[in-house]
Amino acid sequence: MREKTLRTVAAFHTTTDAMAAEARCLRCGVPGRLIPLPPVISAGCGLCWSAPREERDRVVAAIEAAGVTPAGIYEMLL
Amino acid sequence: MALVVDARGEQCPIPVVKATKALAGITAPEVLEVHVDNETAVQNLLRMAAGRKLQAKSEKLGERDLLVTVHVDGAAQVPAAAEEPAACPGDLRGDTVVAVGTSHMGSGSDELGAILMKGFLYALSQQEELPRTVLFYNGGARLTTEGSASLEDLKTMETQGVEILTCGTCLDFYGIKDKLQVGGVTNMYAIVEKLTRARKVIRP
Repeated sequence: MREKTLRTVAAFHTTTDAMAAEARCLRCGVPGRLIPLPPVISAGCGLCWSAPREERDRVVAAIEAAGVTPAGIYEMLL
Repeated sequence: MALVVDARGEQCPIPVVKATKALAGITAPEVLEVHVDNETAVQNLLRMAAGRKLQAKSEKLGERDLLVTVHVDGAAQVPAAAEEPAACPGDLRGDTVVAVGTSHMGSGSDELGAILMKGFLYALSQQEELPRTVLFYNGGARLTTEGSASLEDLKTMETQGVEILTCGTCLDFYGIKDKLQVGGVTNMYAIVEKLTRARKVIRP
């Protein structure tokens, strides 16, 4: 197993929201990637944007700029 | 004064073998400190200690210095080596082959299917027990080549001993033979052999 690090995790209400947020983050060069929602989080559609912990503000800004309201923003070891 | 074993730079199962030998020489209450440089060795040592009902803990001292401390109350129980195999990275791979024949998971929406496949390969790379081999053919060949969003996950699995193989005919058909970024190239005979010998085949 690779070493786990603290990550900012943004969950989405719908898959469409997740796709829109991913497109925005990639376009804006926001670090991170779309991954399946970790089982410990029960909110959302099953997808989330995982980014380095310190990128929380950029992630939130990009998601909001995509017109998406996140289902939750979390910090966890991934 | 603790008994210290430095097993940094040693590959599995050497750290466990060294620790076991050190334990064998302990006849009175003692603390055994084993320095290793990888998480697999830490887990193996903790498992070995648990198997002997010895208290053990691990801590990270540095980037490549992990310390496992084992507390021995008295003469350590030393089972025969055969009774206590160390779980090396290769042992974490089950006899499972994952066969990826398309760049999308499921049918319906290709856009959603691509996201699902990306998520599948990520989740696969996070499993405790990894597959022995992941085969890519037809549209799946695009996942091991330049531009694939799954390269990081596939490379992670490869470093943990998972065999990543892509169909050469498929790479040639799509004109992406020179774009392969992870694993090796294989042919249909090898693909059939891997699939027929697998205990379990998963097709996402």
